[in-house]
Amino acid sequence: MNDTKSAAAPAAAKVPGAFGNVMALARRELGFYFNSPVAYITITLFLVVCGVYLFAIDEPSSGLSFFEANEASMRKLFEMIPLFFIFLVPAITMRLIAEEKRSGTIELLVTMPVTDAQIALGKFLGGLFFLVVALLATVPLAILVGSLGNMDTGLVIGGYLGLLFLGAAYLAIGLMASSWTDNQIVAYLVAAILCAFFFFVDGMAEVVSVGAKDALAALSFRAHFKNVARGVVDTRDIVFYLSVIGVALVVTMQSLRARNWK
Amino acid sequence: MIEVSGLTKSYDGVKALNNVSFSVKRGEIVGFLGPNGAGKTTTMKILTCFMPQTSGSVTVAGKDINDDPLAVRSMMGYLPESNPLYLDMLVYDYLRHVATVRGVPADKRHARIKEACTMCGIADRVGQRIGTLSKGYKQRVGLAQALIHDPDILILDEPTSGLDPNQIVEIRNLIRRLGENRTIILSTHNLPEVMATCTRMLIVHKGQLVADGTAAELERRESETQRVHVELRGAASQEEALAALRALDGVASATPVLTSDANAIGVELVAATGADLRAPLFQAIVARGWELLELRREALDLEGIFRKLTKQV
Repeated sequence: MNDTKSAAAPAAAKVPGAFGNVMALARRELGFYFNSPVAYITITLFLVVCGVYLFAIDEPSSGLSFFEANEASMRKLFEMIPLFFIFLVPAITMRLIAEEKRSGTIELLVTMPVTDAQIALGKFLGGLFFLVVALLATVPLAILVGSLGNMDTGLVIGGYLGLLFLGAAYLAIGLMASSWTDNQIVAYLVAAILCAFFFFVDGMAEVVSVGAKDALAALSFRAHFKNVARGVVDTRDIVFYLSVIGVALVVTMQSLRARNWK
Repeated sequence: MIEVSGLTKSYDGVKALNNVSFSVKRGEIVGFLGPNGAGKTTTMKILTCFMPQTSGSVTVAGKDINDDPLAVRSMMGYLPESNPLYLDMLVYDYLRHVATVRGVPADKRHARIKEACTMCGIADRVGQRIGTLSKGYKQRVGLAQALIHDPDILILDEPTSGLDPNQIVEIRNLIRRLGENRTIILSTHNLPEVMATCTRMLIVHKGQLVADGTAAELERRESETQRVHVELRGAASQEEALAALRALDGVASATPVLTSDANAIGVELVAATGADLRAPLFQAIVARGWELLELRREALDLEGIFRKLTKQV
């Protein structure tokens, strides 16, 4: 009986393994967000900005307000959320690694039996859950808009999917910026600048040269988001966002590995 | 258990550790002693796989820290120098988090947390936010997280720094109890701490290992140059006594010292390396018809040894 017990123990310990570690690290981040008022204030602020923009501010391109446009659509909001995210997402990610470095807890974190990849992924997922909660909080707005007229539900779901991927790419960039410094403010600013740069980079084509237009559009979050906001989910756009996330996470792992801080 | 050989670490060309080698056997409590900046923390950060060495090798239970860092880390519990903790978390939640990441199976976590909290005397604080605890309690939470997975090896970097004398005694007792079935390396710049808790000490200075042994061994090694205190009566003058004793074989120097008895003459002698002065002194004094009141070898205490080894040159 003892034999079966000792044989089963290491196996049982291994089952949670890598996935268990990632989830434990993600849960720690979520715990931080939701055990303090910061998360609730941030999400409330995000909701208020979304609601005010959707109903009270004229759309820049047409000059029409929501009710003048007379269209039960979330498109106007979905086109603007990527800009809100440039301010919101770095606020979620700025502390993820920078704060561990500042307080010294990084030393305990990286001397636990976890890999750098698990740390990067755990932190990324923790931030992603927060972002999902923030996005879900806007669903009542969509339901409200839907109740006012004939809304294309598929379009809205596609839009949310696009926002999720775009937000995840921002998150990965923010996490990467957070791994470069032990100062949260620096992490916030660097992340916001990088996100803004990659969002607007296709606009530079007119300034630089017309020939570079396609190349810059390929890099631009805005160009990849246009289709999604119209409800068209293209695998090329998804692959683009996943690549950005992948690259940013790998860079994060690299900077975790370069432990030259003291 | 732990084999360190030729360990060197440079920061921007400055050698924080220079060719340090030692080994620690299972069940030892080793005190890592040295002035601030001697290389204690650097050694511990390398042992715990926090940062890589510049050269040299470290194996823990046969596993190389560079080849199999995850296996090495899972054998160890670590209390870093500044005792960093997630201040926003409750004690219980924090320990559960560490237990999970440390691979304690879900059904054993609660029992392990309870055990670690009882051992460290924080069982009544588990529901408190870590940030609101006093420094002493934080230190115990730091120790509890190092113990949570019942590791074979504990690396404790200055476990009693910043604590009040009562807390220091408690933590030392705890460390001694933990050391009954574990290997412990603790660092400190406090000598009484090592004497109170450790079975062996390593003294580092300017990145180099300058001594390795038990307190008794170090005392023996460093007191090879003997100092002898003599009190005698019957010599015509202090000068006569000094001259006679100085002339003996093996005496490097003789200096007068005060005695409690007004009639007695006190002399302190330092022997040449390796010589034992006690027998020749006795014979010389008796041969002259003087009375020998006291003959005592002065032990060089550990404090003196430490200062001697780590003298700033």
